[in-house]
Amino acid sequence: MSTVWKRWIPAAVAGVVVAGAAVAVPLSAGATSGLPEKSPQEVLALVAGSTVTAFSGTVEQTSDLGLPTLPSGTGSGSGSASTSGAASTSDASGSDGSAGTAAAASSALDLLTGTHTARVYVDGTTGSGNLRVQVLDRLAERDVIKQGDTLWLYDSGKQTAVHATPTATPDAVPTGPEQTATPQQLAEKFLEAAGSTTDVSVGGDVTVAGRSAYDLVLTPQSGSTLIGAVSIAVDSETGLPLRVEVTAAGASNPAFSSSFTSLDLSTPSADLFSFTPPAGTTVTEKAVEKPSAASGGATEPSHSESDAPKPVMTGSGWSSIVELPAGSESSALTSSPLLAQLTTPVSGGHLLSTTLLNVFVADDGRMFAGSVSAEALEAAAAQ
Amino acid sequence: MGSELAVLFRRRRTWVMLLALALIPVLVAVAVRISSAGSSGRGPAFIEQISQNGLFVALVALTICIPLFLPLTVGVVAGDTISGEANLGTLRYLLVSPVGRARLLLVKFVAAMAFCLAATVVIVLAGVLIGAALFPVGPVTLLSGDTIGSGEAALRALLIAGYVTVSLLGLTAIGLFISTLTDIPVGAMAATVVISIVSQVLDSLPQLSALHPWLFSHYWLDFADLLRQPIEWSSFGTNTLLQLAYLAVFGTLAYGRFASKDVLS
Repeated sequence: MSTVWKRWIPAAVAGVVVAGAAVAVPLSAGATSGLPEKSPQEVLALVAGSTVTAFSGTVEQTSDLGLPTLPSGTGSGSGSASTSGAASTSDASGSDGSAGTAAAASSALDLLTGTHTARVYVDGTTGSGNLRVQVLDRLAERDVIKQGDTLWLYDSGKQTAVHATPTATPDAVPTGPEQTATPQQLAEKFLEAAGSTTDVSVGGDVTVAGRSAYDLVLTPQSGSTLIGAVSIAVDSETGLPLRVEVTAAGASNPAFSSSFTSLDLSTPSADLFSFTPPAGTTVTEKAVEKPSAASGGATEPSHSESDAPKPVMTGSGWSSIVELPAGSESSALTSSPLLAQLTTPVSGGHLLSTTLLNVFVADDGRMFAGSVSAEALEAAAAQ
Repeated sequence: MGSELAVLFRRRRTWVMLLALALIPVLVAVAVRISSAGSSGRGPAFIEQISQNGLFVALVALTICIPLFLPLTVGVVAGDTISGEANLGTLRYLLVSPVGRARLLLVKFVAAMAFCLAATVVIVLAGVLIGAALFPVGPVTLLSGDTIGSGEAALRALLIAGYVTVSLLGLTAIGLFISTLTDIPVGAMAATVVISIVSQVLDSLPQLSALHPWLFSHYWLDFADLLRQPIEWSSFGTNTLLQLAYLAVFGTLAYGRFASKDVLS
């Protein structure tokens, strides 16, 4: 009898080993090494003094903004979803421009739901800087390639490419709808917005992408904002922000997280930044004016519209509100069936409500966005 | 070992399954060729690229086969390994010969994996051949928008065939284990196929996202990571680790069951 039971020993051992490895590997990855204590100011100085100009890495972005998940899970779902959205909008309005905007907006919205992985290559050592972001979708890929002044947006699912030649000085960051913000860009935005309205503290040491990092925690002093805390993991060696997590007020888990899962500080190969659209691709040429920078919330859908009318900022710090005057974009947004599903009608307009950001589209076409309560937006609209 | 492979590949059933798999790229290519006028922007990924480059037939065919046809055929072969012999009454004669049960199990597993490799290679080869016959063949456009020459494309096609074969390791091990549980091959085959479908259904439920990285079917379609520039190797590595873990668990379970089993038929 005992010999029979011995035959099961390998199975038991294999089970234990696999289960042990499955538990132990994430644990050891989360283990932190002791870093010398630093004050918030020292960590801020570390960020400001960061001299990293070239790196490549993989960024994982997870959003739980309370938006319903768009059908992008399988195949080219995201591609076909946006295509059908665009097609029906152009039927409704007969305008190519608004259809394009709606498609771009739904593509941007797609990036704001669920989990996305992107590979980022940055080379700031030559000229005005090279950048390549590859959003890795299942069986598809969306690319942003910036070489010097030229910018390419490429979507393998729809086989389209946009070639943008900026007429004004280009921003360091392309503002295409395909943009997945790297932790670095996000951290700059939040640190900019921090100012005097924010409590800055340093949390415990964390490990991100296998590197030990300081955890800089920004807590807005204002109680009127939806943002509870922003946590930025700063690499202890280079000062490069490795992870940004935004937690909504009153929530315990981050509603938005953008984090490096791997990072390589060597200069990426130069041919990554040269792009020639492959045969069979629909190429749209576009001369882009200097993008209208909608600051405050990096997660704004309106952020992606480079040809938007001039926005107006009211309020200050974390509870500032961006107002976009009536234009074709907002009408495209409201007429898109996809977005119509996401918004809820309220008195005087439509409201797109997320855990971190509210967008209010008034019936007259004006659009208000901010990390504040819906009531504050409606009050701003009433003024 | 050689005789086991010979038995497997001499069976008419094996040939019919390989032929059916080879028919899929042919069907896809012919369908696209006939209807090439209307490109609706719908359907599986890559399907529009077929008309520009025949090599994509192989990829489309793989994408179509991975969710159902490959698990189906692999389930038939893996589920048949032990229970098929038991059902035919040949298992006890096999065990009379001076070969250990562990070795017998290993040979059966390797033969099943050989079928997986043959199946993927057949799909890729048939796809490339029919694609080359019906469509122009030229530089291949990768997902990243870069183009590579035909030689490198062939290399990547081989890599993809390897990736898909590795992806089927876990399912084959599960099929082998189930096959040791029963004397009825049809039951083992059906159970294996059902498990692969259940795994894919679980994988598509967003509420279970914590479970997804542990499902053996989770990385099946990530073979597309080999079509990026530069190649994204991380999914290849994760997939291989996961499949090896499944192989370790279910392989040893199969050994435990098979070695301690009283073989009566």
